[in-house]
Amino acid sequence: MTILFSEQTSEESAAQKPLHPWRKKPRKFTISVALAVVLPFLVVLALLLYSNIPGALVMVIVYLPLQLLAAGITAVYNRGVRSIGDSMIVVLAIGATVFSLVILMSVLLSLVVRGIGALSAHFLYQNSVYINPSTPLEYGGIGHAMVGTFLILLIASIIAVPIGIATAVYITDVRGRAVPYVRFFVQAMSGVPSVVAGLFILTIAVSTGAFNQSAFAGGLAYAILMLPTVARTAEEVLKLVPDDLRTGALALGSTRARVVLQVVIPAARTGIITAILLGIARVIGETAPLLLAAGNNDGTVLNPFDQAVASIPVYIFNNVALPYPDAVTRAWGSALALMILVAVLFTLARVLGRGRVGKY
Amino acid sequence: MSTAEFESVQTLEEQMVESAAPRDLAMDARNLSVWFGKRKVLEGVNIAFPERTCTALIGPSGCGKSTFIRTLNRLHELIPGAALAGSVLYEGKDIYDADVDPVHIRLKIGMVFQKPNPFPSMTIRGNVMSGLKLSGMKRDDHDAIVESTLTSAGLWNEVKDRLDHAAGDLSGGQQQRLVIARALAVEPNVLLMDEPCSALDPASTLKIEETIRELSKNVTIIIVTHNMQQAVRVSDNTAFFLAAENEPGHVVEQGLTTEIFSNPKDQRTLDYVNGRFG
Repeated sequence: MTILFSEQTSEESAAQKPLHPWRKKPRKFTISVALAVVLPFLVVLALLLYSNIPGALVMVIVYLPLQLLAAGITAVYNRGVRSIGDSMIVVLAIGATVFSLVILMSVLLSLVVRGIGALSAHFLYQNSVYINPSTPLEYGGIGHAMVGTFLILLIASIIAVPIGIATAVYITDVRGRAVPYVRFFVQAMSGVPSVVAGLFILTIAVSTGAFNQSAFAGGLAYAILMLPTVARTAEEVLKLVPDDLRTGALALGSTRARVVLQVVIPAARTGIITAILLGIARVIGETAPLLLAAGNNDGTVLNPFDQAVASIPVYIFNNVALPYPDAVTRAWGSALALMILVAVLFTLARVLGRGRVGKY
Repeated sequence: MSTAEFESVQTLEEQMVESAAPRDLAMDARNLSVWFGKRKVLEGVNIAFPERTCTALIGPSGCGKSTFIRTLNRLHELIPGAALAGSVLYEGKDIYDADVDPVHIRLKIGMVFQKPNPFPSMTIRGNVMSGLKLSGMKRDDHDAIVESTLTSAGLWNEVKDRLDHAAGDLSGGQQQRLVIARALAVEPNVLLMDEPCSALDPASTLKIEETIRELSKNVTIIIVTHNMQQAVRVSDNTAFFLAAENEPGHVVEQGLTTEIFSNPKDQRTLDYVNGRFG
C-alpha cells in the first residue's frame, strides 16, 4: 500500500491568513440575551427612582437574584438545562469582581474627592510650624510628615529586611533543627497587634530612657511588624528556587554561603523584592506604633535619634477629627499623598527589580 | 551515519590500545553500600576508575547508578536520611574521612546533571565563569577560559555573539552544553556525568560525545547512560548495575567496554546490552 502525500501548492499556502480558531466565536445577539440583560436593569432602575429602598440594598437583594434568575432562564432556553449552573457561576463571579472593584474604587474616589483640595506643591514640602488647625489651605503642608515616614520606613527596612531574609534562608537553605520552631514563632509574630509592637518599644526603649520618642524608636516598632511578613514571603519565594540550582552550585565546589548569596537569592530576586514591598505595605499606614514610639512634631526632623518626629498616619489621626474643615481636608489630602507615595514606591521597585541578568 | 560510526570505531581501537597500558587509579569505590533512610539501594559496589579513562555505568532505571555517582563527589549526603558504608578513594585517600572538606572534593570532582541547570540570574558568560566565582578561584584569562570551555562543549560557535545574553534564553540542548562548559571551567580532575545527553538531540549528543572522548585524554570521566551505543562510543570501561525487585542494586559485571558488549560473561549482561530487557 502506498501513502500519497499531497503536496500543498505554494499559492494555497501563500493565501493563508493568520487565524485564531481557539478564540470564542462572537456570540449571536439573541433577543433572549437582550431581555436577560435589560429586564433586571429596568426593574432596578424603577426601584431606585420610585422607591425609598437604599441603592446598595436594591443591588444585593433585588438585582443579584434577578440577574441570576434571568441568566439561568436564558441559559436553559438557549443551551439546555445542563448549562444552568455554568451561567450562574459566571454571573456570581462577575458580581463578586464588580463588588470588590466598586469598594476599592469608592475608597480611592473618596480619597481623591475629599483630599484633592489640599494637594498643592507647597502642601508636599512645607512643614506645619506656625500652622494651626484653622489656618487656610494656602499655608503649611506635610513635608515634615513625609520626611518622617520615609525615615521610619528606611530604618524599619534596614532592620527587618536582612533579618527577615536571613530567617527565610535559615528555613529553606540551612535547614537546621529549629526550623519548625522558627516557623511557628514567625507565624505567631505576624499576629502581633500593631499597638502591642508600639507599646513594647515604648516600654523597653523609650520609657527606660535608652531612646527618645524618635524615628529610630518608630522604626523599631515598624520592624517588629515588618519582620514576619518579609520572612514568610521570602521563605515562599526561596522555596520556589529549584534544588537543581543548589546542587549544581555545590557540585562546582561552592560553599553553602556562596550558593545562597550568588545563586539562590539572585534567582529569587524579583520575589525577594516583592517580600520587601509586602513588608512595607504591611506597616506604611500603621498609626498606633508611631503614636507611642515616634510621637509627633510640627517641624521637620532629620536626626533619627534626636526627638519626636511627625509621620503621615499620625498627621492624619491628629487632623481628621478636628472641627475645622481645612484641617479635615488636610488629613484627606495627606491620605491621598500616602496612597500616591505607595504607588510610586511600588512602581519604582518593580521597574528596578525587573528580571535583568546580572553581569558576572 | 556510517562515517560517524566508522570514525568512532577507529577511536575506540585507539582508546583500547591506550587503555591497555597500566594506569594509576583516579578513583576507587570499595565495598560501597548506600541507604536512603532504612532502604538499602546499593550493596557492595567495587569499581576502580583508572586515571584519564572514561567509564560508563549502565543498567536499567532504579538500579542505583545515579545514587552511586552522587556518592563519588559527596552530593549524596545532602539528601535527608542518606547513609553510606564502605569507602571512596580519591588519589588514594577516602573522601569520606573526617578531615576531608566536601567543598574541596566537589571542586576536584565535577558533575554534570541529567537536567540542564544553568543559573538563571546569570549571563552565558557568567554561567561559564560561575564555578570560578563560586569556588573563590582567581583567574585572569576569563575570555580565554570562556572560549576554550565553550569550544570543548561544542557551544562556542552558537553563542559567541551573545555571551552577555541570559542563559535561560538558550534551548535545552544548548543549556546542557553550557553547564558542561561550566563544569570544565574549574578544571576538575574527575568529571561525573549523569545521563548528560538524555535531553539532547542527536547532533548535540554527537558533539558531547566528541567532547567526552577529547576530555578523557586529560580527565577521568564517569558517565551514566541509558544509551548502549553511547557507552560503546565513548567509554573504555563499563560497569553493569542491576537491582532485583525490592533488593539493593549491585554491579553484575564490569570490565573493558569491548568485552562487556561483545563477550559478556553474565547472561543478564548479554540480555541487557542486546536490549532484551531494561
